[in-house]
Amino acid sequence: MITEKERLKQVFCHEKPDRPPCICPGGMMNMITTELMDTCGAVWPQAHTDAEMMAQLALANYEQGCFENVGVPFCMTVEAEALGAQVSMGSKAVEPHVAQYVIDSVTEWRKLKPLNVNEGRAKVVLDAIRILKSKNLPVPIIGNITGPVSTAGSVLEPVVFYKELRKRNQEAHELMGFVTEQILDFARAQIEAGADVIAISDPSGTGEILGPRFFQEFAVTYLNQLLDGLQSEKMGTIVHICGQMRSVYEQVDQIHSDALSFDSIVPMKKARENLKGRILMGNVSTYALEFGSPEQIEKMTRNCAADGSDILSPACGLGTKSPLKNVQAILQTLKKDEVLVNA
Amino acid sequence: MADKESLLKELSRCVLEMEDEEVIPVAQEYADSGFDAAEGIMQGLVPGMNQAADLYEQEEYFIPELMVCSAAMYNGLDVLKPLIPKENTASKGKAVIGVVEGDTHDIGKNLVKVMMEAAGYEMIDLGKDVPVEEFVERVREEQADFVCMSTLMTTSMNNMQRVIDSLKEQGLRDQVKIMVGGGPISQNFADKIGADGYSVTAVEAVKLADRLREL
Repeated sequence: MITEKERLKQVFCHEKPDRPPCICPGGMMNMITTELMDTCGAVWPQAHTDAEMMAQLALANYEQGCFENVGVPFCMTVEAEALGAQVSMGSKAVEPHVAQYVIDSVTEWRKLKPLNVNEGRAKVVLDAIRILKSKNLPVPIIGNITGPVSTAGSVLEPVVFYKELRKRNQEAHELMGFVTEQILDFARAQIEAGADVIAISDPSGTGEILGPRFFQEFAVTYLNQLLDGLQSEKMGTIVHICGQMRSVYEQVDQIHSDALSFDSIVPMKKARENLKGRILMGNVSTYALEFGSPEQIEKMTRNCAADGSDILSPACGLGTKSPLKNVQAILQTLKKDEVLVNA
Repeated sequence: MADKESLLKELSRCVLEMEDEEVIPVAQEYADSGFDAAEGIMQGLVPGMNQAADLYEQEEYFIPELMVCSAAMYNGLDVLKPLIPKENTASKGKAVIGVVEGDTHDIGKNLVKVMMEAAGYEMIDLGKDVPVEEFVERVREEQADFVCMSTLMTTSMNNMQRVIDSLKEQGLRDQVKIMVGGGPISQNFADKIGADGYSVTAVEAVKLADRLREL
């Protein structure tokens, strides 16, 4: 019997597994719900700062039959906090978010702190990965990284940042270069700690927001710098892009990740047509996962797989109030259909 | 000295072509020439912003471009607005706007604010991650005509319902028109929570507000 880890590896190697894996990486692509917290006793916001709890919660997601991976952290503020931003840890139902930026302009990027992987929540994340690694799980461990544009947009007001991509282009690149180096250190440390896969989400760096030119110049350039800087001894990489992609398929196809994941606004069929030969991940509506029924999820899962998704996953981070029975329906459908195929 | 027509055109051009610094001396020259400040805004700055919004809808401009255009508009407004006598500032209505609690994504909200301001609404911006009570409190204080709420996160959508419920409880619901928007929001959701309207884009939001105030 093939393990979950082997199945995902097959996908990354462009082999055809018995059925698509069911993955939700973590990070911005959050897989934790309040109902899941209640099953294991590890809760937000404590789990964001406690490695044991973080690992426990990541594991609960697998044990409860939600997704075939474990992954940490459950927010996209670890990097920004390490660079000096103030973060509000949220509550049981609300994920952490940046409460105060560090700088007022890209020109001040030298004021940012270097990201130290041996302190703060960066260390918590690495410790959680080590704990998960020590359990010798049959599922892949996914380390999550906030993408360069989104990290930059978390250390200064995004509106100013977007404006200065134009007005202070050179300094904007200097800031991006610095930020990318910092998060690369974090990603490399995650692999060293035992992460099999690195997933990068860059919700502020979308084609819809930036337009094709800046998407290429700022999102693709620094995502690739990050991806190219990772150690080769890893199973694979995933990049999640938010928003509409129709104006930037050409640029998205230049991203050096193994898999590409996207929003439910992008029809899987269209993505498949435009990104031939790429491993695609997605994209069951998180709205349906929170407010729909298991029957709807079953239907969506089948449509997604039929339309060309190689890795089934939610289209975005889960709402924390999503019912467990909805979340579990993706994997249950895949397993049910596998039985049908083999019968 | 340049004539009024060409200065108005120049104001529009500065906004449209992202000249957020150059717009200031142009607005100053317009004001120094004794031309009508309100006209400078409505026939100069605003058409420029509207053209920029058209380019955004056509996917010629994106967020970075729009942000510089709106900076240019505001820089022009800073020069011209103080010159308008208070009683002449005909406002289409007062709107309280913010991103609901639990969410800090405010680009969409900022665009709606810019477009509505350009269209003649007085905007009270509460910012992002705004608690339910603050919306209600400010509606009361400001005697607002509109409440505009946005969120990009499914996790925060329910807070729109909470604001509406709280407005009802405080007897303020009938005094305001409620508009909602943001990635996960739909007409369906707007109907469900009892909002008065939903719009997909910032440009649509202005049309929606114009329609609602006619009711």
